[in-house]
Amino acid sequence: MNTLFGLPVALDALIRVLIIVSVMTVVVMGLIYVERKVLARFQQRLGPTRTGPMGLLQSVADALKLVAKEDVRPTNADPWVFELAPFLVFVPTFLGFVVVPFALAWSVRDLDLGLFYILAVSSVNIVGWVMAGWASDNRYAMLGALRAVAQSISYELPLVMAMIAVAMVADSLNISEIVRGQAMVPNIVWQPLPFLMFFICMLAEMNRPPFDIPVGESEVVGGPYVEYSGIRWSMFFLAEYASMFIMALLGAAVFLGGSAWPFGEQLGLPWQILLTVAKAGLIIFVVIWTRASFPRLRIDQLMSFSWKLLLPVSFAQIMVNGLILVYDLPYGMSHTLLAVCSAAGVLFVASAINRSVTSPRPRPLLIPRSEAAR
Amino acid sequence: MKGILKSMATTLSTFARKPVTREYPETHKELPERDRAFPVLLWDKEAHEPFCTGCHACERACPVECMTVLMKDNPAHKSVGGESGRRKIIDKFWIDYGRCMRCNICVEVCNFDAITMNNTWEGHEKSVYDRADLVQDLPMLLSEHRSGELKPWVNE
Amino acid sequence: MTNALQPSEFEVQDIMINMGPQHPATHGVFRMVLQVDGEIVKDLIPHIGYMHRGAEKLSETMDFRQGIGFMDRTEYLAQFNAELGYVMAVEKLMDIEVPERAQWIRMILCELNRLSSHFMFTGAFGTDAGVFGTSFTYAFRWREEILDLFEEITGDRLMYAYFRPGGLAWEVTDNFEARVRQVLELSKQGIKDIDGLVTNNEIFKARTQGVGVLTKEQAIDWGTTGPVLRASGVQMDIRRDEPYLFYDQVEFDIPIGQNGDVYDRWCLRMEEMRQSVRIVEQCLTKLQPGPIQPERMPRMLRTPPGEVYIRTEAPRGEFGIYMVSKGGNRPHRLKVRSSCFANLQSLRDMSIGQYVADAVLALGSMDIVLCEVDR
Ligand code: SF4
Ligand code: SF4
Repeated sequence: MNTLFGLPVALDALIRVLIIVSVMTVVVMGLIYVERKVLARFQQRLGPTRTGPMGLLQSVADALKLVAKEDVRPTNADPWVFELAPFLVFVPTFLGFVVVPFALAWSVRDLDLGLFYILAVSSVNIVGWVMAGWASDNRYAMLGALRAVAQSISYELPLVMAMIAVAMVADSLNISEIVRGQAMVPNIVWQPLPFLMFFICMLAEMNRPPFDIPVGESEVVGGPYVEYSGIRWSMFFLAEYASMFIMALLGAAVFLGGSAWPFGEQLGLPWQILLTVAKAGLIIFVVIWTRASFPRLRIDQLMSFSWKLLLPVSFAQIMVNGLILVYDLPYGMSHTLLAVCSAAGVLFVASAINRSVTSPRPRPLLIPRSEAAR
Repeated sequence: MKGILKSMATTLSTFARKPVTREYPETHKELPERDRAFPVLLWDKEAHEPFCTGCHACERACPVECMTVLMKDNPAHKSVGGESGRRKIIDKFWIDYGRCMRCNICVEVCNFDAITMNNTWEGHEKSVYDRADLVQDLPMLLSEHRSGELKPWVNE
Repeated sequence: MTNALQPSEFEVQDIMINMGPQHPATHGVFRMVLQVDGEIVKDLIPHIGYMHRGAEKLSETMDFRQGIGFMDRTEYLAQFNAELGYVMAVEKLMDIEVPERAQWIRMILCELNRLSSHFMFTGAFGTDAGVFGTSFTYAFRWREEILDLFEEITGDRLMYAYFRPGGLAWEVTDNFEARVRQVLELSKQGIKDIDGLVTNNEIFKARTQGVGVLTKEQAIDWGTTGPVLRASGVQMDIRRDEPYLFYDQVEFDIPIGQNGDVYDRWCLRMEEMRQSVRIVEQCLTKLQPGPIQPERMPRMLRTPPGEVYIRTEAPRGEFGIYMVSKGGNRPHRLKVRSSCFANLQSLRDMSIGQYVADAVLALGSMDIVLCEVDR
């Protein structure tokens, strides 16, 4: 294992983690600014403009405000659980950055089971959510936390399944390997269905619209963190955006070819990082775009969407992948088959969504005024 | 799926449009001529005195009773050697802007066209820290027209 | 010896959730106590009265001109419609003939007001459904054009106080017609935007179809009016059944829903907006120059003794004014028949057995204005 400047492994890890945490906190704050700006444009607004040039310092101002704010704890709250919950959301989320490959072989640790690791740690934060919801002694928080658990469990499965499907095609669980394997063609071409599922599940995991049911503003007014304020609340907030960034990076690496596609492995390091981040930015843009466009689903629809549609389809995808890959077909043929089957899956999902709502129903009548009354 | 894509297309089309909000304190919206802010008194520029004769008509007609009018004999009336045709004139006038509901009734009932609704304010000009400061006295009410800030519509 | 584990200790309890008066989805200061079993609403107790300002009682101390301003504040999203009810009641008591031009202008303003009110509905309802702010900004962006027009005419953006017994307070601006046409064009674009954003979205359909259903019988029993009633399939529109102003001289369609659910109410309002545009376009062609006040208007408004009830079709339903006069210059008794108040009664029927999120949508689909409910 090669460490920075030949330092001892532990020290090296510490330095890398420190770099990641500090740099990523800043990046995530930038992300908050970007989201606000982009969302504003979707809504024909200007977004933040008052703090710094073009409102660039908005996140800094927000952070300062949040830090300076009083940290309120409700009287009836369970003190320990209440205070610990934000950390349990924050830490696991940032753990995800450990394996994210910003460039080829340029992550904190290049784990062989990187894909599993990232999926595993990214779902630990649900414990923090439940703790927050339970400890706040608030019914909205409780309702929100329970919704969050239900949602997280339901969408964890299709997410993992989608990832397994890609891993089968890429023949590795090491994210760097997966990236390297896409030097010619990104995985999204071979596996559009898992990408679609990954995208949907990612939205659900991050509680982004249309799956923002646990935090639904108009229903449970912020859900688990309704009672939090100040620095603790900002930790939830940072974690949310950090997980968005991690998921987008993961999607960029696993599906969009990360730093390898389309320029191959010879690209300079800064360009590789830029390429990865640009691809992640594309995903984030679409995430913000969906946020601006969609209403929220209801909890039962959310569950049935996962259990009745996504999960079976993801199983089917894995089986199809297995069937195709088990016969040692020539590369082009097997992958074309994969792509065709997966695209058919996408069409199936789309038509299933269509069919679920377009039951025949009478349309409103238009009665002209002059027509006789009654 | 079609509807979902349609939604996304709609938001994308607005993404490409120019934002409609303004940088507020720097760029203001042009106020229409008939903009109705708070009542102010008018100043008779020929006679160098207010039009108001203190007749109490507006005070009585105000739905929220936010005006206080005191009348006096005009010291500049012809009978006492002045030039003015007004026998009575306003002595003290208070309007509590904190209570005024900007209904325009005082303007309509005034027989002397002595009061009007300001049309150059956006509203924030009168923000104060203490409600008592919202009570305007006679010089304050007159200053707006004396300095010639009002736009035409209200002068008619 | 008693058993420590009494059965009662295992009793499963429904929890009560107190929604409002400060809650983003309650459109002001409405409070509902939900008894929920998990996510299912078992019972719903609405509490109103947080906005009660005694507008009706207050109006008894106000003469007929002063009362107009209070009507604006009763219905702050459909101010012209509310003013119209009041001045029509006074006119009927005093037996005043209103000049034609004033009537047409009133009609244009009322219909534009309906447009702006429905825009507001689409924004607020979209937010209830979870479109993060986009529907709101869309709606406000187009509503703004209408408000700008109103401001140019009346001088105020919200509390117009423009109608007077007998006609209008003052003449409209010179470029009135051109401006109205311009606003109509913009509104059409706005309707298209909002329609494209929400109406056909599968998620929105899934959320609203079959939710908050009110059957025909229930809708009639609760005395609902306006879009809520029409969505349940009842053909009732006061503009058609008892035409006031010149509604009998313009052609428009009345949309009637067939399912009585939240989605129908949404579609109905979208259609009503299109019809409003149509009505205003017809009004503009019939607008003639002329007086806006009767020739001999008394300076002091005094009515003979009597009582009247005026029904108008406000954006939210029947807006009625019941006015008793014992002679003199102020009403002896004024009662506002609030459309929202009656519509709100049906909330419990709509919500029971549904999810918490559906109760929010059912409330939103009624487009309540709490000021009008509590008065
Ligand atoms: S505008 Fe109306 S409320 Fe204000 S002072 Fe005049 S009469 Fe009174
Ligand atoms: S403003 Fe007009 S109505 Fe009021 S006291 Fe003066 S003259 Fe009379």
